[in-house]
Amino acid sequence: MTRNRRLVATGTPLIMVWQLCEALVPVMIGVTIDVGIETGRLGPFALACAGIVGVFLCLSYGYRFGALFLRRAEQDESHRLRVEVAEKAVQPVDDSRMAGEWLSLATADADKVSELVYQVAFTAASVTTVLVTAVYLARTDVTLALVVLFGLPVTVAITQLVSPAIARRTDREQAAIARVAGIAGDLIAGLRPLKGIGAETAASRRYREASRAARHSSIVTARSWGYMSGLTTLVSGLFLALVALLAGTRAINGELSLGELVAIVGLTQFLAEPIKLLGDLSAQFAASRASAQRLHGAFTAASHVLDGPERLPDAAPREVRLEAVTAGPLSDIDLTCSPGTLVAVTTDGPASADTIVALLDGTARPDRGTVRLGGIDLQDLARADRREALLVVPHAATPPEGTVRTAIDPDGRLDEAALDAVLTASAAHDVVEAHPDGLDHAVRIGGSSLSGGQRQRLTLARSLAADAPVLVLRDPTTAIDAVTEHQIATGLRTRRDTGRATLVVTSSPTLLAAADTVVWIREGRVVATGTHHDLQDDPAYREDVLR
Amino acid sequence: MTRELLPVASGRDTTRMLARLFRRRPLAVAMAVLGFLLTGATGIVAPRALGEVVDLVDEGGQTSDLMVPVLAIVAAGVIGALAAAVAVSALAQATIPVLAELRETVLDRALHLDAGRLEEAGSGDVMARVGDDVRTVTDSLDEAVPLVLTSLMAIAFTAGGLFALDWRLGLAGVLAVPGYVTSLRWYLPRSGPIYRAERIAPGERAEALMATLEHAPTIRAFRREQQAVGEVERTSEAARGFAVETFRMLARYGARTNRAECIGVLIILTAGFLLVSGDVVTVGAATAAALYFHRLFNPIGGVLMVFDDVQSSGASLTRLAGVALLPAHDDRSEALPGPARLELRDVGHEWEPGTPVLHGVDLVVEAGERVAIVGASGAGKTTVASIASGITTPTSGRTLLAGRPVDELGTATMRRHVAVVSQEVHVLTGSLRDNLSLAAPEASDEELTQALAVVSAAPWVAALPEGLDTPVGSFGHHLTSAQAQQLALARVVLRDPAVVVLDEATAEAGSAGARELEEAAAAVVRGRTAVVVAHRLTQAQHADRVVVMDHGRIVEQGTHDELVAAGGRYATLWNAWSGA
Repeated sequence: MTRNRRLVATGTPLIMVWQLCEALVPVMIGVTIDVGIETGRLGPFALACAGIVGVFLCLSYGYRFGALFLRRAEQDESHRLRVEVAEKAVQPVDDSRMAGEWLSLATADADKVSELVYQVAFTAASVTTVLVTAVYLARTDVTLALVVLFGLPVTVAITQLVSPAIARRTDREQAAIARVAGIAGDLIAGLRPLKGIGAETAASRRYREASRAARHSSIVTARSWGYMSGLTTLVSGLFLALVALLAGTRAINGELSLGELVAIVGLTQFLAEPIKLLGDLSAQFAASRASAQRLHGAFTAASHVLDGPERLPDAAPREVRLEAVTAGPLSDIDLTCSPGTLVAVTTDGPASADTIVALLDGTARPDRGTVRLGGIDLQDLARADRREALLVVPHAATPPEGTVRTAIDPDGRLDEAALDAVLTASAAHDVVEAHPDGLDHAVRIGGSSLSGGQRQRLTLARSLAADAPVLVLRDPTTAIDAVTEHQIATGLRTRRDTGRATLVVTSSPTLLAAADTVVWIREGRVVATGTHHDLQDDPAYREDVLR
Repeated sequence: MTRELLPVASGRDTTRMLARLFRRRPLAVAMAVLGFLLTGATGIVAPRALGEVVDLVDEGGQTSDLMVPVLAIVAAGVIGALAAAVAVSALAQATIPVLAELRETVLDRALHLDAGRLEEAGSGDVMARVGDDVRTVTDSLDEAVPLVLTSLMAIAFTAGGLFALDWRLGLAGVLAVPGYVTSLRWYLPRSGPIYRAERIAPGERAEALMATLEHAPTIRAFRREQQAVGEVERTSEAARGFAVETFRMLARYGARTNRAECIGVLIILTAGFLLVSGDVVTVGAATAAALYFHRLFNPIGGVLMVFDDVQSSGASLTRLAGVALLPAHDDRSEALPGPARLELRDVGHEWEPGTPVLHGVDLVVEAGERVAIVGASGAGKTTVASIASGITTPTSGRTLLAGRPVDELGTATMRRHVAVVSQEVHVLTGSLRDNLSLAAPEASDEELTQALAVVSAAPWVAALPEGLDTPVGSFGHHLTSAQAQQLALARVVLRDPAVVVLDEATAEAGSAGARELEEAAAAVVRGRTAVVVAHRLTQAQHADRVVVMDHGRIVEQGTHDELVAAGGRYATLWNAWSGA
């Protein structure tokens, strides 16, 4: 709120002017009839008309600029909140929030909180209008003022009596409609697999059932909206009749002028709006508060960024070492990947593989033992140095949006020869050749326009292009056929030959065969270390890797 | 990016189709018309009655005379209330079923679109029709349509009321119209482009946000945090700009509408002044005229504001009608004329003209035989699979199933007897049972469980909290890709086709669960004619015959042992794989 004080401070009074002038329109019509039309005198009539023009000018400009300032304040605020959420979300935060939840924090909740700006301004304006009108009415006729000021909230309240029920039905209807839309999107998204088993007709029938259910709930909701609108017409009609009776009697008795009569009737009809608005605002305020609490929760959630004081000396070898590490399913693991070697780790299940990768990328800490990079405990190492020297590529890594070229080399550091070498090593040449645009072919977010194998090869190319001193890969070729995998194994050996350290966690025989050393982990312990060829003699090893 | 692959109906065809649909609900339509007419008519009673009150005051009437106009207001309130309730309900009764029927037909036609064409053009356009277009029309049915109808009635009856008071007052009312028309003509050419831009901007913002949120681990790994947040900031900034710009335009539009209102009020008051001075009408009539006009502010403003909603929902309707008017498909399938022997005769194919990907492929798969295809990416394996399954029609050569050309057999028959499972897995949002029963809607729970047992999925399904009722998909229990693929294979078991094509169906599993998936795939193809695009060489090892492809040609074929013994390309691969 305080961040937008200036815009809100100018916007609010302008909105007040607008609402007061809206209230003044019927009053001015009354005045014109009173002093002009009834008397038939041109001078006062012209003056009253000028007054009407003045009121319209004020209400028009008041709204135009007042609302615009508030809109800007609202948009500025939600923009800022959104960027803050994004900043928080890229950090390693507690994993309990899923991407969808972050998205709704960054959009729906940020928007809701920003609407507070409006709510404050409109509440202030409505309260002022009601008070000013009350004063005017009271000065004209106290009894009528009392009837109007107590009667109106009662009539608004009566029509609002049914609104919780309508809100519930509307929620249910929207849920049903969203479900129908969701089913449609879901079926179309899975259309190819569906067609593969000829399930189009069954799918169509399923959609029809959901659509029928939604149709029923839509009709029920619309009907209650109909009742609501009927009720509003009825209550406001009856109340108007009451006011007309009272005011008419007074006017006939000469206690009210004609113009005052018209003004009171007009005001009565107008006042229902700010009063209803006040009711709606309190509900909106509750929603904004809930959003604000959710945002606060996200901003204060702990993020565990691994960072330490020690720098990595230039002379230290760029290698990783696990020394007697016990963590999760792993116990007492020793493992070294030195410069100029290609080391493969193969495990009997995904849990052990996950833990090794997590220990290296800093999201898990060993219970016992030490993980070292260049001889320094990873827990003590400066984050920037760690990330500079060690690239841990997650299995589910995805290419960024852009082109094939930027997916491999986002900063444009590679020349054509280097790029060509990377493409060869990652067997990604045919990803480039698959499309006439070649390297400039567009890649959609997450590489959704590519096949699984193409995605993996682009990620591999990007990992090799980054040319980090130590590279850790997790199951980089699961979606790649045996022939292409063979080329990739050769490519990884090229990287080894340039003196870099490469660690591959995999169960692919082709990659294992290319490694200098295979570390075989079974039931959390290192069972054997050696070449793929030598380890083959053990039937249990064959069982684990040759599937 | 998205190519339009579906037709758009002309305005006339759309109207004709809607008229046909509405004609089936004559009662609801009649009730809605009657209801809206009555609301309009009762709406003008109150200002008229108030005018009479003014006249009574002006002419020094009795208090008792007040009862007539006051009771008129009460009666109008009661009748108007009933009419409003009936009108809105009847409108819903008439329109909502029409919309539901329309969206069901649209989805049905979309689901039955020719697979080859769909493959080529992508599903973006289909998605937009069944999603955005349906939503646009639904939203306008909820809000814009009732509002427009009520407002139009109010406007029409008020105009009539003005003329009933005095034709010169009516004429004064008509003089107010040009002001509104000018305002609308200022707004419409501006609103379209701005709204389009404003609608696209949040989409881009959401994409940037999703890219950051979903891919946070990759972003962190490659140290791209700053760039990712920067992209969010840029798109969010752009969306903010459009939101403010749109509002600025709306505010200016509002100001123009205010101007029209002001001019209208002045014209009517002036007319009243002149007519009262000339003793042509009473002060009450002049008052009623001014009040009539004042109560039109909201309805007119409402119509002006939703004018472009109505326009865009009209456009959406033509897009929906375009799909709905596509011919219905023939769903009848026939039994195969003989054993399911699959033949590709001298098949060549080009996805893009001038770039052949297959050359003279001859492949015969005997009924019940299991053939594995091995080759590098781009060798043409997937194209062969797609042609073998009858989804793609080859540019040259012929495909036969059970001795008959596939185009003679027809789509429905092909889809009944040939099942395809590709690398692309999709778990539908819904229960596990929903996912399975798509393949066999009549299947009992027992049959479903048996199918799961065949693909070795029974143990983990039994361990799920609610068994077959466990929700899966976007909001449900998360399935690993291996489990999702097991479901896809279980569907094939339930479907029980004569021919199965597996296109790298076990590739995405990763190291976890790969073996179970291999076994599941083996169980599914047992006893069927099978083409398996092999990903791991163990699949090839257990096939009846291995076909090795390279650059669109078959270069080697034979049993696993024959090929290993022959010492060719396959032998090299096998040695690398087995570490021999």
